[in-house]
Amino acid sequence: MAIALIKRLSSGTTPYFSLAILLVILAYLLTAATSDSSKLNDLFLVIFGLGLAILVLLTAILVRSLHRLYKDFKQREAGSRLTIRLVSLFVLLILVSTTIVYSFSIHFLHRGINSWFNVQVEQALDDALELSRSSFGIRMRTLLRQTRMMSGVLSELPDNELNHGLRELNQLSGAIEMSIWNMNGQLITSSIENPAIMVPNRPDDAIFRQLEQQEDYIGLDPGDNDELQLRAAVRIPKKSVLQQDKMLHVMFPVNERLSSLGKTVQNAYTDYKELSYLRQPLITVFTLTLSLIVLLTVLASIWFAVWISRRIVHPLQELADGTQSVASGNYNTQLTTSNHDEIGFLVRSFNQMTQRLTQERNASQRSHRMLEQQTNYLGAVLGSLSSGVITLDDGHRLKTANVASSAILDVKLQHHLEYSLSHISDKHSHLDTFVEMIMEQIKHHHNWQQQLELHPKKRRQTLMCRGTLLPNDAGWVIVFDDITTLLQAQRNAAWGEVARRLAHEIKNPLTPIQLSAERLQHKYGALLPDDQTDLLNKLTNTIIQQVDAMKDMVNDFSDYARNPGLQLAKHNIANLIKEVLALYQSHPHHSISLKQNTPDIELRIDSNRFRQVLHNLLKNAIEASEEANLPVTIEIEYSQVQHNHTNWLELSVLDRGPGIPDEMLTRLFEPYATNKLKGTGLGLAIVKKIIEEHHGMVWAENRSVNGACIIIRLPLEDPDL
Amino acid sequence: MAFIMPAFVTAKLNLILLSLLLLVSTSSIAAKFSIDRAIITKIGHGYSLQASINYSLTPRVKEAVANGVPIVFIQELEIIHALPLLGDFWQWQSTLWSTSLRYELRYHALTNQYVVNDLDTEHHRNFISLEAALDALGSIDAFTLPPEHMTETDNLHIYLRSSLDLLALPTPMRPGALISSKWQLGSPWTEATWQ
Repeated sequence: MAIALIKRLSSGTTPYFSLAILLVILAYLLTAATSDSSKLNDLFLVIFGLGLAILVLLTAILVRSLHRLYKDFKQREAGSRLTIRLVSLFVLLILVSTTIVYSFSIHFLHRGINSWFNVQVEQALDDALELSRSSFGIRMRTLLRQTRMMSGVLSELPDNELNHGLRELNQLSGAIEMSIWNMNGQLITSSIENPAIMVPNRPDDAIFRQLEQQEDYIGLDPGDNDELQLRAAVRIPKKSVLQQDKMLHVMFPVNERLSSLGKTVQNAYTDYKELSYLRQPLITVFTLTLSLIVLLTVLASIWFAVWISRRIVHPLQELADGTQSVASGNYNTQLTTSNHDEIGFLVRSFNQMTQRLTQERNASQRSHRMLEQQTNYLGAVLGSLSSGVITLDDGHRLKTANVASSAILDVKLQHHLEYSLSHISDKHSHLDTFVEMIMEQIKHHHNWQQQLELHPKKRRQTLMCRGTLLPNDAGWVIVFDDITTLLQAQRNAAWGEVARRLAHEIKNPLTPIQLSAERLQHKYGALLPDDQTDLLNKLTNTIIQQVDAMKDMVNDFSDYARNPGLQLAKHNIANLIKEVLALYQSHPHHSISLKQNTPDIELRIDSNRFRQVLHNLLKNAIEASEEANLPVTIEIEYSQVQHNHTNWLELSVLDRGPGIPDEMLTRLFEPYATNKLKGTGLGLAIVKKIIEEHHGMVWAENRSVNGACIIIRLPLEDPDL
Repeated sequence: MAFIMPAFVTAKLNLILLSLLLLVSTSSIAAKFSIDRAIITKIGHGYSLQASINYSLTPRVKEAVANGVPIVFIQELEIIHALPLLGDFWQWQSTLWSTSLRYELRYHALTNQYVVNDLDTEHHRNFISLEAALDALGSIDAFTLPPEHMTETDNLHIYLRSSLDLLALPTPMRPGALISSKWQLGSPWTEATWQ
């Protein structure tokens, strides 16, 4: 509760003004309370206590504020150092100025109070009192004598006339009251001038004791309203021993003027005496009051100093925080200020700066986004290109490479970005030729174009490369296409045309030649002598056989050249292979087997043309083995494989023949690419043609031991088939 | 006017607490005022109190009087009705009546006398010595107790005490007097005896 109150009091601006007003009121109350004439005089202790309570509260608040300041300083909060410096300066100023004022005030307080008292005044008052007493002493002696005379008169009277005598003497003497008492303090008789007063004034016991010692009493008495009266008491002489001791007690009035003067002297003397006695407590009280007010003022000033220092430093602290924020990349920082001074100007300028920075950053981000979009666009374009595109910087380092470039060169070029071309060729030796050509070409600073042959994995690959110099000699962009297939297609087309013409031009005269040779044999065989008939038959048979051979060759050419529509239907591949193998298994020296790893594979093919493929492959394998005088051992395997996210039927025909020479491997499926003695050289070319018509692929490999292997892949799920 | 104040305290406990309170308030300083005698006497149908209070002043107080500072004496009286609930150990106490009498003592320099003023009645008496004035102040001859509260005297206790009214001192003296042992002269509550 108290902590919450202190917290609330120590924040915001209201408490400072409230405190200032409270202190002013308290100072006024304390000043008023120390004044004798004030009604607040009685409340001095309460007000002082209130002041002490405020002092304690203020101390607590100040301690908390200073502790917070110290904590901020220890935690190296922004602005805390400057705040402490300002507070220290303020505190120094406050303490120095207050100490000077306080010292002088105390000095003047002591001097001021002490100056009220003067030895001469004191002596004068003492003298005045003594004079008054002396003045009254003359009168008192007279009245004492008069009283003694009256006691003498009364002693002559019998007891029963005492009352009467007393009244007469009272009237004669002008006394206020006269009374006779016995020495036990009992009233015998009295005479009072004022009829309103019934009971006479009883003399003090001390007076009785004095009279018992045979000493008469005369004294000045303060009466009601501080008016003075003279009191006389004398013993009434006894006429006989039997008479009791009596005392005459008389109250005389004092001259009004004299009484008034005496009262004045008494009051002045008493006041001065009291004041003189109270001098030290008065100085103490004033000093305490002054100290309290000074302490309150100092504490309040220090508190205010802390507050004003924080208020001054706060915008600078915000600026420091804002600057740090901007330095860490947050450009949206905006500070609030309502000041119109230099600090306010600074804050507004800071806000303008951050606004500008934000705008610039947004513009930069927009540009960056656009650049990214363009890069992505370019990347998409390059990615969709079938041509390989790579860029090199001026240090011949690979900067970009599209997907097609990696596919064509069969190297993940994206893994070699920022590396030099020589480094890439070191890692992939089949690119040596490619890199050497590029390095050679880019020595000349002009655009170039060159065809190039690579041999990756014993294949032949033909590339068409074009190099373009980037502006400002920033590097090169090199575009290359794999034109192997194109060239192959051109060659195939040329061969197809040749075959078609051969079939057309040669096939037509062959039949008349054969018929003519047969007619020659029939017509002139009988006419010739027997020894010549054999020769004729031998010659005409040769013509007929060669014409048959030529017909076979022309039929092969015709098969190669013709391009009938595929008769596609679903067929079980195992059944097809078995049908073809059945024709070859009758040979006693031929071992032809089927390894059936995956049963029941069906695919859409033209069964006749597929049979032709199998015939050609088997025929090719048998001929190769027989020519090398090796046993004919052929294995046919087929299975389902996955390649490039597509399911394929992979069919292999393996033989134990002499294998295929390396120089033949790359062009084995071209027409007339044969090293066999027999055959037209079109068998494997026809195989390749048919397989490609089925969107498949075919290639040849040498087996690791001996023999060759022809591998066919046909797509299992081709939407075009 | 009767002021009822319940308090579950025993007479003994009360005494102990009072002693503790006095011990705390006056620390090690013994009270300078003491009530030597307090007797309740039946006079006719009523009761009167006779008491003798010994006012022995410290030199500091006498010095103040001699320097013209008026000193106010307070005499306090209380009639308490105690109802025993558990014998002497637990009593239900209620204050039936209380009063305080205030007297001012000051020195009259011109007449060299000590004047005692009854601040309630404005009557005054003069004394030629301080001792005489203090004797007169301390002598309560026949203080008539209020008859309306004295009809049933069983379980009735009358307490008396006297002290200086420090708040009546001049302002500059008050702080010093309130913390100084030389001004703490009050007597403890003393019970009057029945005669």
